[in-house]
Amino acid sequence: MSIIHHPSDATLAAFASGTLDEARGIVVAAHLALCAQCRNGVHAFEEAGGALLDDVEPAVLSAGALQRAMAALGPLDIISPAIRGAAAVSDLPAPLSHYAVGPWRWIGRGVQWRPVEVASDEGVRVFMLKAAPGTKLPRHRHTGTEWTCVFEGAFTHDLGRYGSGDFDEADESVEHNPVVDAAHGCVCLVALQGHIELQGWLGRLIQPFVRI
Amino acid sequence: MLRDGQAAAGNSAADWIRAIAEGQDRAAFASLFEFYAPRIKAMLTRLGAAADAAEDLAQETLLTVWRKAGYFDPARASASAWIFTIARNLRIDRLRGDNRAKLYAPYEMVEPEGPENPDSALNAAERDARVRAALKELSQEQVRVLQLSFFEGRAHGDIAALLNLPLGTVKSRVRLAMARLRNLLGDLQ
Repeated sequence: MSIIHHPSDATLAAFASGTLDEARGIVVAAHLALCAQCRNGVHAFEEAGGALLDDVEPAVLSAGALQRAMAALGPLDIISPAIRGAAAVSDLPAPLSHYAVGPWRWIGRGVQWRPVEVASDEGVRVFMLKAAPGTKLPRHRHTGTEWTCVFEGAFTHDLGRYGSGDFDEADESVEHNPVVDAAHGCVCLVALQGHIELQGWLGRLIQPFVRI
Repeated sequence: MLRDGQAAAGNSAADWIRAIAEGQDRAAFASLFEFYAPRIKAMLTRLGAAADAAEDLAQETLLTVWRKAGYFDPARASASAWIFTIARNLRIDRLRGDNRAKLYAPYEMVEPEGPENPDSALNAAERDARVRAALKELSQEQVRVLQLSFFEGRAHGDIAALLNLPLGTVKSRVRLAMARLRNLLGDLQ
């Protein structure tokens, strides 16, 4: 698999620092599970986090803090090999195994939708999309960010072709009309902030019937 | 930006963790605690935690370091980065109460087969030196936006208000600082 499109450095850093919201974090984690280069990137930012931690001006602890910690020391954990393949029990990509995922539902010609239950205080919804080969999605723009990780197949829009493992980090300035790969269709995971606004007369006509 | 004494303490941290793993060395734990607990409390406070919650989490982070000392692998991360990730995961878990901490498990789980690129594997001291050198290469301004964005979890808009700069300028500075750091760190493994 050759991955061409990756999350931005700012996104990898936010993930590494733990400040990225959960909903968008799921899509980033899905990409990381497939992309060694970005795992290295996250590790690099974690190292930077460690260096920043070493350098921060220390706070004052309450009296007796060390003694309380010493008194709480118990036995060490026994090292067990990492539980390999735990995620493979589910047919879902690894990061989704922690979440309730709804059934596939048709939302339009050739397009199915499957919600991932995750709360978001930034109005971000997470869902999987499965589109039939050759599906042309209507030209649309977003009221917020739209982050996508491709699992199978591919889609193409103005900014290039997005195949398996690719990450599309679209913000509110992007307006596009993705076309799904003619041979393989496309399965992807999306974190959508706000909603999409369909463009053109046809889009405006069908907007009321489109749930996403 | 970094004082030399702190870098030295960062380096001996790996030895302290090993002493805990190999002999439940309580003196080594005390040294680790005295260095890291006040810093973790400071970091969590800057991220918005109340002082007592931040201290509880700092305590819990160090107790987790004790329990999991045997899992520390200096070939994969420096001691400070490892402790940073433990504090990060506990913060998410306790203060946010969402599932996010679990998001770090799958990609950490992919690793045990070894470094992604064994040829470029660095030992802990080399990597530590490289990270510090990289941070020193950044301008004060870049370090500031990096700290605000990365360390204090500020959104671009927040940083713009704090630094009294146009949002576009802040966005491009954050992007530049991150790219520069990433570039300087290279394929750090």
